[in-house]
This record gives sequence, C-alpha cells and structure tokens, in this order.
Amino acid sequence: MTHKYTVTGLDCPNCAKKLSGMIEKIEGVESVKLNFLSEELTVVSDAEAAALDKAVKAAGREFSRKVTIDRK
Amino acid sequence: MKKLLKDGELLHILAGAVLLVAGLLLEHAWKLTLPAAIVYGAALLVCGAEVFLEAVKGIFRGQLLDETFLMSIASVGAFFIAEYAEGVAVMLFYLIGEYFEHRAVRRSRATIRSLMDINPDTALVVLDGAETEVDAAEVAVGQTVVLRPGSRIPVDCVVLRGNAAVDTAALTGESAPLDAAPGVRLSSGMIVLDGVLYAKAEKTSEASAAARILQLVQEAADRKSRQERFITSFAHVYTPIVVGLAVLVAFVPPLIVFFAFHSNVLLDWVRRALMLLVVSCPCALVISVPLAFFGGIGCAASRGILFKGGVSFDALSHASVAVFDKTGTLTRGTFTVAGVWPVGVEREELLRLMSAAESHSSHPLARAIHAAAPDAPLPSSVKEVAGKGLLAELEGDTIAVGNAALMADVGAVVPDGQEGIYAARNGQYIGAVVVCDTLRAEAKQTLAALRGYGIRRTVMLTGDAEKPAREIAAVAGIDEVHARLLPADKYARLEELTESGAGVVYVGDGINDAPALARADVGIAMGGIGSDAAIEAADVVIMNDNLSRLPEAFAVARKTLRISRFNICFALGVKIAVMAAAIAGLLNFSGGMWLAVFADVGVALLAIVNSLRMVFQKRKSDD
Repeated sequence: MTHKYTVTGLDCPNCAKKLSGMIEKIEGVESVKLNFLSEELTVVSDAEAAALDKAVKAAGREFSRKVTIDRK
Repeated sequence: MKKLLKDGELLHILAGAVLLVAGLLLEHAWKLTLPAAIVYGAALLVCGAEVFLEAVKGIFRGQLLDETFLMSIASVGAFFIAEYAEGVAVMLFYLIGEYFEHRAVRRSRATIRSLMDINPDTALVVLDGAETEVDAAEVAVGQTVVLRPGSRIPVDCVVLRGNAAVDTAALTGESAPLDAAPGVRLSSGMIVLDGVLYAKAEKTSEASAAARILQLVQEAADRKSRQERFITSFAHVYTPIVVGLAVLVAFVPPLIVFFAFHSNVLLDWVRRALMLLVVSCPCALVISVPLAFFGGIGCAASRGILFKGGVSFDALSHASVAVFDKTGTLTRGTFTVAGVWPVGVEREELLRLMSAAESHSSHPLARAIHAAAPDAPLPSSVKEVAGKGLLAELEGDTIAVGNAALMADVGAVVPDGQEGIYAARNGQYIGAVVVCDTLRAEAKQTLAALRGYGIRRTVMLTGDAEKPAREIAAVAGIDEVHARLLPADKYARLEELTESGAGVVYVGDGINDAPALARADVGIAMGGIGSDAAIEAADVVIMNDNLSRLPEAFAVARKTLRISRFNICFALGVKIAVMAAAIAGLLNFSGGMWLAVFADVGVALLAIVNSLRMVFQKRKSDD
C-alpha cells in the first residue's frame, strides 16, 4: 500500500534526508520517498493505515517541533 | 513589528545581535573583559540554544556530521580559545543565513505551487436538473458539468452546448484562446473566458489532463540529472573529508612545532581548523542545484513543455542529431488528394474503390482518400497488411490499396515512375493517387533555431515516398531524408544513429512512435497528453502542436544547466579558497572567522537566489 502525506516545516534537504531516514525505521515500512521541494512524502507500507499515520506523525514531531505531517 | 516578534527565528537573531554589540562595547570601549565574556556567553546561548539542542539530538541519532553539530563545535570551540565575539558571530551569521535560506525556499515553493495550481477544487454539475457545486474529485464520467466564465475546467470533457473562448495557456503555454463549441474536447485546467458551456465529463478529475501533468512534474523530481546525482554523492564525502582535514590541521602542525621548537601554537591552529568546520557544510549545493532543476521543470511546464526529469536536461544539452517523424510532426498531418492517375478505369471509379477500401482506416492518408469520395460503399471485409496497405473485399472483387510491395504481392504491375498510393483490382493495376501534406509554417524557423542549440544534423524518417519527402525536407531545411520506411525500419535507422554515439533527439507526434521515442536519447512527443503510450515512452511531452516550443525546451534545459553549473563552481570555488586561506593562516585576523561563515551561509544564499531565477522566469515567448 502506498500512503501519501504532506510535510510542512522542512527547511533544508538535509533535514528531509534525516526525517526520511527516521521514517524508514518505522516497522512495516518498505520504502520512503520524501520530496523536499514539493513537501510530499510517499510511504510504502503494509502496516495498518491508522497505526502508520500515528508512527509517521510521531516521527515528524520527534524530528522537530516545527514539522507537521498530514495525510493527503 | 508584531509580526517580527512572532517570528521566533528573527527574535533570536535580533536578541543575539543586541547582546553581541553590547559585548563588543564592553570589551573594546570600556575594557571590561569579564563582563564582556559573560554577555558574549549569554548571546551565544540566546542564538544557539536551539542549534545546540538539534546537535545533541543529532548525536543520539548517530548523525554526527550534520550542520548543527558543526556550527556548535565551531562556536563553542571559538569560546574555548577565548575568541568570544567570533564564536557568537559564527552562530549569529549562521542563523541569519538560515533565516534567508528558509525564506527563499518557502518563496520558491509557493511560486512553483501557484504555477502548478491548475486543478480546481470544486465543480458545478447538473444534478436532477439543478446546478450543484460538488467536489471536483466527485464528478463522475458522463455527468454534465457547467463551465462559467472565469472558472477552471474541473475534468476532461466534451462540449454539449454553448460557445466560449477558452484559455489553454496553463496546459499548452499557448496564449491564443481556443474557440469552444459543441463537440470540442476540453481538458481540465483550462479556463473559460466568456460564455457558459455545458459539457459532458469524459474522465474523472484524477484521470484528467491537469492531474496527470501535475503527477508527471512531481515524479520528474525523482529522475535526477547527472549534476543532481553528483551533488548528492558529493555531499556524502565532502563533509567527512573537510572535518577530517580540520582535525589534522588542529593537531598535526602544533605537534610538529612543539617537538621541533618547543613552542605552543595549538590555539592558532585550532582557530584555523574551526574555520574549516564552518565551511564544511555543503548546503549551498544541496539546496540550490535541485532547486534550479525544480524551477526549470516548473518553468518549462508553464510553457506547455513537460520534462519527465532533470536527466533529460543533460541529454538535450548534449544532443547533436535531431530526428523528425514527418507526418504530423514536421507537417500538419492533414492530407488532401493532389493527383489521381487512373489506368483502365474512370477517375471517379478509382477514387470510389479506393475510398471504399480505406473507409475503416484511421490512417491520415486513408482519411484523405476517403474525404475525396465520401459516398463510397462499405467493403464486406478488410484485411490490413502491416507496412504495405490493405486488402478489401468489395462487390465480389478484391481491392488492394497500398505501396509497391503490396502491388508486387498481388501481382499488379505499377508503371515506371508512378508515385503515390497504388490500387489494384483482382491483381490488376488500376491507378494511383498522390496525397499531399503541408509543411508546418514554423518548421523552417524551428530547424534553424535548433542549430543554435548544438544540433548539427537533422534527419527526417518517413514511410512516405521518396519524392514528396524530399520536397518537404528541402523546404524545411532538413539535411537527410530516409523515405519509404516501414515502422520497423524507422526504429532500426534511429538505432543506428544512437549507436553512432551522437546524442539523438527524436521528435514524433507520439501516436505511433512509442518505440522510437523510447529508444532515442531524448524522445519528444508533440501534441499533448492524449496518448498514454507516448507519455510513457517520451522524455519530454510538448502539450500543444507547435514546433516552436522545441527550441524553448532546449533553452530551458541549457539555462538550468548553466545556473546549476555556475552554482557548483561558485560555491566550491569560494569554499576551497576560504579553506586554503584558513589553513595558510591568512584569515587569522579578528573577523576572519566571519568571512568563513559568509563562505558557508552567504554563498548558500547567493546560490539559491541564482537558482530562483529559474523559478521566477516569466514566459517570454508569448509576449
């Protein structure tokens, strides 16, 4: 399953790379694509949607309080 | 002022700057060293608290060499060697640079978004006889949508009632409006200028043109150019190398000096090393290069040119051979019968038989013949012979219509020198018609313009007869003509050209050219988002039918590459110069470290502003 999110508050490509690294570590996540300029996050995961949302959002909060992640 | 205060970033910068000035006054005007140090410390905390926090978080995540960590080490390091003002300055300048960087990034995002804001959120549909506003995503195929003046078309549709001028610029880059009347197909993203239209939805919003364009542009970011890939891999090695170098610079020379001369120069060399840390962040490149490509892709899209990735920018700029499909690409693709040469039958009878045989075919040549005798009867059966023509059963006879190969197959003898499309009845040659196509008005100019972009050789591939092909090529200014090619031959010719090592651009109208589009170094499909196979196969899709967009595609590619190349050279040049100066001790004056900070954030900012030129580029061609 492919899940799409909008990520706001990312200020540099480096941060985008770090954040996508954190999301990759979430259980059940197969691949992560985070486009810094279009602020789009695509996660491929077999995990249940609600659980994944929670984990992804938590990763965003943990990464920086300026970052918010919402499902598209 | 209220807004400024709300902006936390700016508040930190202002507070830090005030404290830094206070510290400088205490230290230099009143010579109060200890109070000055305390004020400097406060300034560093005010500016850097958040950066330190990020750095510590980074360490726990195993990201040792990130920007925040490097800046923290540099500023704290400056404090340890009692260069308090420098330490505060490093942090302060870093914050100022970041502040402007973030603004620039936000600004370019907003611009690109507005460029791409071509999909309306809502649609007016007729529900139970009443006009109702619904979510654009909910419009179903077959529903009637109401298009009012000034509104964006929500889905691909065909006009049922009404007349209006429609602005297609967002999709095609074409400034002349389209006249919409019943039967005309419209794409989502176009804007109705005047008049009210009632139209039948042919696709859902998601499957419509605007959404597909957006998706293409989004995905383009993943197909990175050589430069973008270089930057990514470069960033991986650059920082560790510079940090390693900094460690060596800090400790090796002092050790040598200590053992050789028994003097302590550690502080001096630590200072040089700190400057290296400050310039060790590759952010100027990591942001500005992808931004230039992103801007280039957006800028091209606003002109109706869709690049499927930065990688096509490279390929276009290296291309030296341009190969064109003739029909529908160099020519209009609308044919008319220009000459009829019957043998043993009446002229009308020949046209009637040929028209009947071609009546099911959608080939442009067939349409032209059919148009010359529209009242022809329908054949009882038709068999297509790939690359040769077709055989039709009509009124008990077998009619063969096609090229010389087909005539040979059925045993008909074509008179010497006869060009055109031949016909035979039951193996007996009965004549030929010549069908003409007209060259596009802009073809000649386009070909001439392409030479200015490094195209040295132009080639035309066509299934047409030699003579008309040569005539068209001569007028257009094409160097080489390969005529009478079967679809498979076209592909083989193209393959030969690509294997010769020259960069080959293939321009086709996209409907039957998918293999060639895919094989060429850059496949350019003309004429829009209509054919899935073409979009799949092409690297660049030109939304309207106008050849003059072609040189523009080259221009955008060149400019993007030029900007990103300049940024790479500029940023690396300044950084290497500052590093060399720092190691050589040329920056060991008060304020030298400030220069190092400029080499980092200042250069990043300038590079970003340079890339923004690509984002803000206006449409020049339509003026």
